[in-house]
Amino acid sequence: MKNTIYSFSLLIFLFIVACDEQKVSKWQEVEKVELAEKIAPIGLVFQNDRLWLADGDNNRLVEVNENSGEIIQSLGNFERPMHIASFNNKLFIPEYGNDKITILENTSRDSLEVGLALDAPAGIHISESGDIAIADFYNHQILLKKNDKWISVGKKGKADGEFHYPTDVQIINNKLFVADAYNNQVQVFDLKGNHLQTIGKETGLNAATGIYVDDHSLYVTDFENDRVLIFDLEGKLKQIISENLDKPTDLIIHKNQLYVINYKGKFINKYKLQ
Amino acid sequence: MKNLIIILFVTVFSYTGLYAQETNDTDQTEITDKKSGKDEYSIQVDGLGCPFCAYGLEKKFKDFKGIKNVNIEMETGMFTFTYPADKALSVEVVENKVEEAGYTAVNTTIVRSDGSVEKNTAVVSLLAEDAEGAVISKAIQVWGNCGMCEARIEKTSKEIEGVISADWDKNTKILMLEYDSEQTDSSVIEAAIAKSGHDTENAKADESNYNNLPACCLYERKQE
Repeated sequence: MKNTIYSFSLLIFLFIVACDEQKVSKWQEVEKVELAEKIAPIGLVFQNDRLWLADGDNNRLVEVNENSGEIIQSLGNFERPMHIASFNNKLFIPEYGNDKITILENTSRDSLEVGLALDAPAGIHISESGDIAIADFYNHQILLKKNDKWISVGKKGKADGEFHYPTDVQIINNKLFVADAYNNQVQVFDLKGNHLQTIGKETGLNAATGIYVDDHSLYVTDFENDRVLIFDLEGKLKQIISENLDKPTDLIIHKNQLYVINYKGKFINKYKLQ
Repeated sequence: MKNLIIILFVTVFSYTGLYAQETNDTDQTEITDKKSGKDEYSIQVDGLGCPFCAYGLEKKFKDFKGIKNVNIEMETGMFTFTYPADKALSVEVVENKVEEAGYTAVNTTIVRSDGSVEKNTAVVSLLAEDAEGAVISKAIQVWGNCGMCEARIEKTSKEIEGVISADWDKNTKILMLEYDSEQTDSSVIEAAIAKSGHDTENAKADESNYNNLPACCLYERKQE
């Protein structure tokens, strides 16, 4: 009788463990949306529920229908717009070609005053509290504005705290995440510019061009390898997406759905956690 | 009569003066036109896969003061711009600038402001049937990363006299070569590739040549 109870308990225990393992979710592709009119997307952002893409090849911003890929509106006269951001109903567009950040509000345009000279800005992010980070591509640095003061983070190199052509940035939970594209990694800093962490070494990343970070995970586009890598915030690799991608450049999570844009393939992949 | 002669003289003199002025103006206009004339440059660039680097090519050429209408068609690899005719750039200067930026210029056409056309000649590989010696096929490991590397490695190989074909695979890092053994050998080809910045199994690129490669081409080097 005693043995039967023990065996039964063991079975129940194993059953519970198995159930827990089955609860680990993975991102699964649910849709692939072909983009209209040769849009070559470099950056994306949602402004409210409107999807905007930076079409670098065609020097324009396009608002697209996320289900059909059709263009809703097109705004030209940008010089190589890159990884864009949205804040307070304004779009922030780094213009790689003319070294400035354009602020777009409805149809009016203004320039962001930056404390230091830019050389090919490739990405920008504004935090909820209004801090600003800019990936300054050819200067191999991040410009960070906090409390109305600009500082420069990093310099050219391969050591921790140094960059080789950074292309994207995000500020979240008082940390600065940087897509250190051609060091093939992501670096994490505090908002004083102190290096905290390097993520992605030994994963075979080849051009880490775009990042998205939430409270649990870091998402990275692996441009040359046609992959998306997903890490936890300790830097542990959780998932690799390697199918149906064609030079992914940027990604975002909106309403529990992961969107990945593909520069060469000219389409958007959508994923859900399942 | 006297008055008539004076009138005639003044008229002829004035006409002559006016004519001279017009001619002078025309000459000045022609000179001005020529000085303000633009040459049109079109370069077929190979390996334009990475927008971050491709847009950089545009930016580098903006260093030339007076350059206008700079444009890269990513789909076709056609890079075009206009530049003042009085500062004419040669085909060689333009192609060197493209290659300094890390790209491979395949064909270059310059239409000068006077209508004349200058072109380079594209690299033409030897035909197998024209080989003087035995045709050797060889696989060589060459390190690189991307489409730009592929264009550079293959063009560098094909520029060597005696090379029939060169095909590099970015995934396997293997360069498949065919060459005329009478005209060249693999060590010559490997040395040229190393000079362009890419390590091969038997030839290592100088640090400076490696560092001059654009960002996306900086492959991981084997530790010695």
